[in-house]
Amino acid sequence: MIAVLGLVVGVVAGLLVRPEVPAMVEPYLPIAVVAALDAVFGGLRAMLDGIFDDKVFVVSFLSNVVVAALIVFLGDKLGVGAQLSTGVVVVLGIRIFSNAAAIRRHVFRA
Amino acid sequence: MSSNDETPGTSENPLREELPEEVRTKAPEAAPVPGAERAEQEPAGPAGPTGRQRLVNGLWPPRVSRAQLIVALLLFGLGFGLAVQVASNSDSDGALRGARQEDLVRILDELDDRTQRLEEEKQGLEDQRTELENSSDQAEEARKQTVEKEKQLGILAGTVAAQGPGITLTIDDGKGTVEADMLLDAVQELRAAGAEAIQVNGVRIVAGTYLTDVSGGVAVDGNKISSPYRFKVIGKPQDLEPALNIPGGVVQTLEKEQATVTVERSDKIVVDALRPAEQPDYARSSSQ
Repeated sequence: MIAVLGLVVGVVAGLLVRPEVPAMVEPYLPIAVVAALDAVFGGLRAMLDGIFDDKVFVVSFLSNVVVAALIVFLGDKLGVGAQLSTGVVVVLGIRIFSNAAAIRRHVFRA
Repeated sequence: MSSNDETPGTSENPLREELPEEVRTKAPEAAPVPGAERAEQEPAGPAGPTGRQRLVNGLWPPRVSRAQLIVALLLFGLGFGLAVQVASNSDSDGALRGARQEDLVRILDELDDRTQRLEEEKQGLEDQRTELENSSDQAEEARKQTVEKEKQLGILAGTVAAQGPGITLTIDDGKGTVEADMLLDAVQELRAAGAEAIQVNGVRIVAGTYLTDVSGGVAVDGNKISSPYRFKVIGKPQDLEPALNIPGGVVQTLEKEQATVTVERSDKIVVDALRPAEQPDYARSSSQ
């Protein structure tokens, strides 16, 4: 419950504050958000499976974000930033879909 | 909370307390049901409470634990980033803000190309406009010249009125001795002296004018006029008057016929008798 509240408060704060995104972070933020979403769906699935562990969640969340940003950064340096970020989004999207399917099976039993 | 923060050992406690609690609830029910459902799901996640029940348990009642707080913090970051990204993307310049460098370069190139194309188009249109203005200027100039020419020719042809310096020649023929040939002599003399427009008693004299004798006067182009004959002549007065007055000239010849001749110079002679402009039936201009 607290976690859900945290998410809601974060969205509201982001909408209200509307901070200027630093130019350095700008290309990485969307990928980082998608990676974090992947971690959250993984965590939700684990919770429904009963194997949720907060340490694992924290580590996977942070490492997902860092690795995604790193890949985009590397891609930018190599000149294939657009393609690499597309690849990252595709991979994370597939993971999110499979996690969402597992969650759906738990919640709706279908 | 403050007691939990004092030592790392105590801060671990809520977590330790919570996890076994969850495991405990699962464990007893895991034992009686070892069957199909368990195999279907994760090995560590026993079949006991379903996922839905776990979700409800996790949501309500709210528990303040370290795990929950950390997860809440991370989710706060996620929500914050999500909202910021969405907000910055939906800005008016969001399309460019999110674009990569090569995309921006491409967009810039396209804009440059477009600017160049439009510039060329503008140049072409301006050239065209200048051309049109020039040609209309030329047409206007030609029209003015034509009008001017028409006026000049109209003076010669007698189709427009004229005014200017000149003389008035009055021939008072009290005895009726003046004949058409004498008037024609006078007209020829005036023309030779540079007369540009002549009228006599309201009849314009032009190149094709003919004079005939009729009873009691003279007919000019078929219009009968009678004494006194009043010539209005536009030309250089200093040339016209001596031309008439030369010894043996027009004036002396007429005076021999007992006519009274007076010549007056004037700065402003108005020749306003007109002839209709006649379109030739067969002759056409051969120019052009």
